[in-house]
Order: sequence, then structure tokens, then C-alpha cells
Amino acid sequence: MLEAGLQFFVNGLVTGCFYALIALGLTLIFGMMGVVNFAHGEFFVLGGVFAYVFVALMGVPFWLAVILVVVVMAAMGALFDVLLVRPLRSHHILSTALVTIGLSIFLLNTTLVLFGPSPRSVETGFAKAPILIGPVVLTEARVFAMILAITAILLLHLLIQKTKLGRAMRATFQNRDAAALVGVNIEFVYTFTFAIGTAMAALAGALLGAIFVVHPSTAEVATLKAFVVVILGGMGSFPGAIAGGLILGIIESLWGGFFSSGYQDVIGFVLVILILLFKPTGLFSGSTR
Amino acid sequence: MTRNAAAVLVVAALALALPLLIRDPFLTHIMIVVLLYAVLASSLNLIVGYIGQLSLAHAAFLGIGAYWSTILTIDYGWNIWVAMATAGIAAAIAGVVIGTITLRLEGHYFVLITLAFAEVLRLVALNWVEVTRGPLGFPNVPAPALNLFGVARFDFHDKAHFYYLILALLAVNLYVTYRFVHSNMGRAAVAIRENRQLAQSVGINPFRYALLAFVIGAFFAGLSGAFYAHYITYVGPEVFGFAFTVTMLIMIIVGGKATIAGPVIGAAIIAVLLEELRFAKEIRLSIFGILLVLSVLFFPNGLVRIAQMFGLAKREL
Repeated sequence: MLEAGLQFFVNGLVTGCFYALIALGLTLIFGMMGVVNFAHGEFFVLGGVFAYVFVALMGVPFWLAVILVVVVMAAMGALFDVLLVRPLRSHHILSTALVTIGLSIFLLNTTLVLFGPSPRSVETGFAKAPILIGPVVLTEARVFAMILAITAILLLHLLIQKTKLGRAMRATFQNRDAAALVGVNIEFVYTFTFAIGTAMAALAGALLGAIFVVHPSTAEVATLKAFVVVILGGMGSFPGAIAGGLILGIIESLWGGFFSSGYQDVIGFVLVILILLFKPTGLFSGSTR
Repeated sequence: MTRNAAAVLVVAALALALPLLIRDPFLTHIMIVVLLYAVLASSLNLIVGYIGQLSLAHAAFLGIGAYWSTILTIDYGWNIWVAMATAGIAAAIAGVVIGTITLRLEGHYFVLITLAFAEVLRLVALNWVEVTRGPLGFPNVPAPALNLFGVARFDFHDKAHFYYLILALLAVNLYVTYRFVHSNMGRAAVAIRENRQLAQSVGINPFRYALLAFVIGAFFAGLSGAFYAHYITYVGPEVFGFAFTVTMLIMIIVGGKATIAGPVIGAAIIAVLLEELRFAKEIRLSIFGILLVLSVLFFPNGLVRIAQMFGLAKREL
């Protein structure tokens, strides 16, 4: 019983890391900018698709492919923001939500047509043999992906907390008019934030594509889980998103292991309802917002 | 107003005559789909357009109505008409419960809490196998039959019978919407949308009017769900799907939110467009996605508002 519980806990911890990683980009786009981005899962899938294209079709080494994915998707995100989100900045939430829904329909279907319906795996070039640490099963690819993910999170944290641009971002999302008054180029900050958010989603897709498989059908689940995690952690809080992802992963895994796996996916949504009703600032208040 | 009344009469006469002019079952099917979506979109428009809150829970009421009517006729042997009519009431009660909880929130939080409710209900429909039969759903949902005192008999083998049934539902729906919007309640709702603090300061309770609009919308979505079940003859967890809500929202924005005619026009355009795009085969949805993005970017207020700008439509529509 206890051993099984420990195994479920560890499984949940691993899944939770991935949830956190997927949600980090949405913390920027939804949590900070306030854009209800339904295309987030498609950004995630595109990251995996590009990683596959770079590695399998163009023969680029995995680490370089990951960097290329981040650069390409950041550029794409900036383009999406300028073309689609910026014109609707002052519009009703329905307009922004529908534009991202239109974008997600387009991206998902186009990916399916070009990429095909069969799942692909991103080759990392690492040994496939598992490393056992107590009850935890790891592979070299997994360890490498984790290190990359943690590095990315740390860099993002430093960017927002320590740089001038990061200060401009925090100022803009706390009070955009005041930020504009003191000379912050808020349109640039918005576009930059959207680009980084898109790149983070794509990074998650590339890393998970190396651990599992790349498939367009994962987009919707990724979007929904990311929203759940952002709400759990509190809008716009990075530590919150990481903790929210871990908590969601662990609770789902324990529930699925001990009770019913069918209702496992319900937990996240029930938590969202409860948190929005009783503590809408998220489980870890004191966020940047 | 008289010009409007005349226009309404002409449209109504046309709608009544259409099945007599078009005998093709496929075209009749498209018209039924348009009318069904018109009811759904215009009932969702109450909360999205007039109250100004983006609800993603509308498919939940469609699903509740569909399952309610199906389960009661198949598993409990209820009369189909009773089951269909009570589907609206069941959905309205669900609307009271969900609305009371969700309408305490606004903006982004409201969007997500309604999405969460819709997903919870979809997952329940998928997993509560004893009642909903899980992912298999219910095939062979029976069609209704109507015997008017032996004078006339409608067995609903003819698609035209379904057409008139959904047309009647749309007529009632539009009438209720019109009365709501042009009553003090509707004006209060718009006042809340335009300036919540100001509306509250003159004694308007935002929650009450939002809940009323939400419940009326849920009622008509439930009835549409029951219609959907008996017309399509199959009900599965997909009826709770996000895709339904998205389609309704697209129709609202293309036709014009917070207008009476907008969702109906949007339903006609989008349903026909999706049908016409079949020639594009696998890139159909890619084209649809681009068209959606372009229409939101360039006509964020919808076609009816454009017509009003050029004086082609009255403000009451």
C-alpha cells in the first residue's frame, strides 16, 4: 500500500513537471497579458513538430534543434501577436478568444495535413537504457530534458526579475497606463511577452517529444491542463505555475491509482472551480499580479 | 416598427414555405441544421452579447437536454414529447445551479469556470457508464410522432416535420429574446455590460439579470439538445464537446453579438460555409480557421451592425 503510494507519488511528480513546463508559457500569455489563448496547445505541438523536422529530416543535433525551435517559435509568436492579438487589445474578450480559437483550428488542421496522423518521436541520440534510482525510472534523454527545462525556467525567472526589460514587463502588467507614462514601450513589451510565452510552450513540446511522442491530438489536452495549472498557481506567478503543475500531477496520479482512473481528468477542473470560488488569486498568493 | 413587422412577416412566410419549395432531403437537412444552430447561438447570445460575459458552458446545457430526453424515452419509457419538453426545464435547473456559482465571477475567471463546468459534465457523461452508457452513447434514439385528434398525423419520417418543429422552437426563442431585450430587464442587462459600477449605483443587481439571461439561454439550449437527440438519432459524450460551443460563438460574432438577427444570420452563413468547404477535403478546417480569424479582425461587430451602419437594418434587430 505504502510502496504503491510512493510509486504513484513519484509518477505524479514526473507528470507534474511536464504540466508545469507546458503551463509556464501560458502564465505569461494568459496570466500576465490576460489573453485567453486557446492556441497554446498548438504552440506546444508545433514545438515538437519542428524539433522532429530539425532532428529527423535535417540531421541537426538535438540540443541545437531545441534552440532553433525556441528561436523559430518566438518569431512566430511575435508575428501572431502583431497580426492577431494587437488589433484586438482593447476589444471584448470574445474577440480575442475567438481569434485564438481560429488560430488553433488553423494550426491544428494544417499540422495534421502536413505532418500526417501517425505519432513521431524526436531522436535525442542518448542511450535508451533506463537508470534506476530507487523506485524512479529515468533515461538519459529524460535527465537531459529536465536539465534543459530547469535552465529555461531559471533564465526566464532571471529575465523577469533582474533585467531592465523584465522590470518593464512587470510594470506594464501591473499598470499599463502608468508604465506607458514613464516611457515603457508597452506594445513592444506585449509582443515580447507573447513571443516568449509561445517559445516556452514550444520548448515544452520539443522536450516532451523527445521523451514521449509528437502528435497533434495532444494539443487540446495540453491547452486545458495549462489553463488548470495557471489557475491553481495564481495568474502570472512562475513559482505558482511550477507548484500548481506538481500538485495537479501528484493528485491526479494518487487519485487514479487508488480510486478511479476514469475520473482522473475531472480533478483539475473541480480544483479550478473551487479555487476560483474561494481563492481566485491561486493557491500561492503574493504573485506578481 | 411597421416596416420591421412587415419584414418579420415576409421572413416567416418564406421560412414556412421553404420545405414546400425544396423537396430535396439533403437541403432540408442543411436547413434544419441552420435552424438548430440559430436557436443555440441566439440563446448563447443572451449571456455573451447582452450580459457581455463569455460563457463556454453552453454545450453543457445542450448535452443535458440531449441526454435527459434520450435516457427518459429509452430507459424509462417516457412519452417523447414530455421528455423533450422537460429537457428544457432540466437544463434550466442546471442553469440556475451553474449560473449561481459561476456568475459570481467576471471576465477571464468566468470564461475558465464555465469551461471547467462543461468539461466536468463531459467527463461525467463519458464515465458514468450505468446511466449514460459511457463512450458508446445511445444509438437509435426514436423519432417523435404527433397525432392531432385524428385530424392530422405527423410521423416525422419526413424531414419537413422536423423542420417545422425546430422552426417553431426558433420562433419562440426569438420572441422571448425580443421581449427580454426590449424589457426593463434587457435594458438593465445592457446597462450592466456597459458600466457595471454605474448600473449598480442606480440599484441594478447585476447578478440577478445575468442569472436570468443565463437560465433562459440554458432552457432553450436544453430544448435544442432534445431536438438534436431525436433528429440525429444518436447521443454520445460529444454533445458536451467544446466544438459545439465554439461553433455557436463563431456564429454570434459573424452575425453580430447583442443583436436579435445576428446569431440567426451567423448560423446560416457558418453552417452553409462548413458544408460548402467540403470540396476542400482535408484542408477544409484550415481554410475555416483563416476565415474565422479574418472575420473577427475585420468585422468584430458582425454583419448586422454593418447593415445598421448603412441604414439597411433597424436598430431593434
